[in-house]
Amino acid sequence: MIQSHISIRAEHLTQRFRVIHERPDTVRELFAKFLRKPVKYRDFEAVSDASFTIYKGEMVGVIGRNGSGKSTLLKIVAGVYRPTSGSLHVNGAIAPLIELGAGMHPELTGRENILLNGLLMGYSKNEMAEREQRVIDFADIGDFINAPVKQYSSGMYLRLAFSVATEVDPDVLILDEIMAVGDFAFQEKCYERMQGFRAAGKTILMVTHSTEQILKLCDRGILMDRGTIAYNGDPQQAVDIYMREANGKDEPLLVEAPSVHT
Amino acid sequence: MSAKDSAPDGLECCYETRLRQMIELVKDTYRYRELIWALAMKELKIRYKRSILGFLWALLNPILFMVVLTVVFSTVMPIQMPHYAVFLLTALLPWTFFAQSLSYAAESIVGNGDLIKKVKVAKLVFPVAAVVSNMINLLLSLIPLVLIVFAMRHPFHLTWIYLPVPLLALTIFTMGASFFFAAVNVYYRDVSHILQIVLQVWFYVTPVIYSLDTFPSRYRFYFKLNPLQYFLNGFRLSVYYGMLPTWQSIGASFAIALASLYLGFMIFRRKQDDFVFYV
Repeated sequence: MIQSHISIRAEHLTQRFRVIHERPDTVRELFAKFLRKPVKYRDFEAVSDASFTIYKGEMVGVIGRNGSGKSTLLKIVAGVYRPTSGSLHVNGAIAPLIELGAGMHPELTGRENILLNGLLMGYSKNEMAEREQRVIDFADIGDFINAPVKQYSSGMYLRLAFSVATEVDPDVLILDEIMAVGDFAFQEKCYERMQGFRAAGKTILMVTHSTEQILKLCDRGILMDRGTIAYNGDPQQAVDIYMREANGKDEPLLVEAPSVHT
Repeated sequence: MSAKDSAPDGLECCYETRLRQMIELVKDTYRYRELIWALAMKELKIRYKRSILGFLWALLNPILFMVVLTVVFSTVMPIQMPHYAVFLLTALLPWTFFAQSLSYAAESIVGNGDLIKKVKVAKLVFPVAAVVSNMINLLLSLIPLVLIVFAMRHPFHLTWIYLPVPLLALTIFTMGASFFFAAVNVYYRDVSHILQIVLQVWFYVTPVIYSLDTFPSRYRFYFKLNPLQYFLNGFRLSVYYGMLPTWQSIGASFAIALASLYLGFMIFRRKQDDFVFYV
């Protein structure tokens, strides 16, 4: 059991993906595989040996370039991926939502989607009945709540998705780039809500590309680089290193290709 | 002699583990019942969306199909079978449930790939929801069956009350096959296409549109190898003939059903954590 003031403890998390060059996707290829040479693959470590501890009530922003392993890390913490190795302990209930609108179905109405999303996040029907009105009030999309979601404008869609995702009461929230939502007024509402979570002592782990958001919201910044945690600490410091690296052209942009095994 | 003497090392613990895994399946199904129900209803809503008659299609389909078949089999190629429509539907409705459930389940994990990649969710809800949505369809289609039995003045046998038994056995069997195809289709997408061909062949080698009695007895043995036969037989015997299957037949159907569920779920369970990397 981990101590009560700790929210997330990750030890040596590694997520290895097998990138198969000739993965047999169909049965024909499967047969072809037996006749010809063996399948070539290379192992790709999206996250390698990442260890960190997040304390209760902290708001942590994860930054890094595309392909640096930010989203993979969040997905491990959210339980979407089972890590190849390493251990993860989470204290309390975790909102397993990674991307906005993950559980939305275009043919269902807004109201039906609220229920379906809530159930997907692990809430009961009764709990969702209680929350429904609050979700609708926050999304503030008027009569459209009873129309199929496919008729929504992208702004309305995101507003509903954001309300569903955040009208929850978990101890830990995992957010992957969901703050760039809606118009200015709605964004202000979103910030308010984030501050509310913070005030309520929730732990928030978020990925963002907006350095402004990190500085404005987070207590801590984690900088990911090629699957490893390059820096973990002061947000200003994390952003500075990130910007310096992004501006310096001496760093290779992509992970160098690991050797090919057969 | 105790079980320990006869069983190789470790097997005793395995039985216990296997039993625990099956209990886990029942528990999880119960735990996620609201989500499963919502997914099944979503399936049905989408199926009948934008059609004026909506859910009525579930009722109309068997009636219209019956009309077509009655015309075909009474005028084009006459069959010496009283109340052929009742005879046919008693096997066709459960067959449709079986075939449709499998088709839906095979696509259930792959089709919800986007969701699985974004939200932590118990994977078993998807194939189970596919079976449940088709179960609702089957139950709805029993209404036109009753109407047709009534309209044709086919006697209502007391054995109707036996129906839940083959229904339960068929559902368990279908669930097992659904878990299997849902899992395998994640790795080889051809499986859902192959399944369609298999189902077509399976339909004709199973006594649905014909009776097993039309075959000489020396061939009947081969039909007994078809597991589906035991379930459909239960439906047809009780509703059309007003009889009950033998104890052996009932026992065989549940043994087959549980074996299917066990094998299907084991394969599904072993692979479920890896689905997210392949969808």
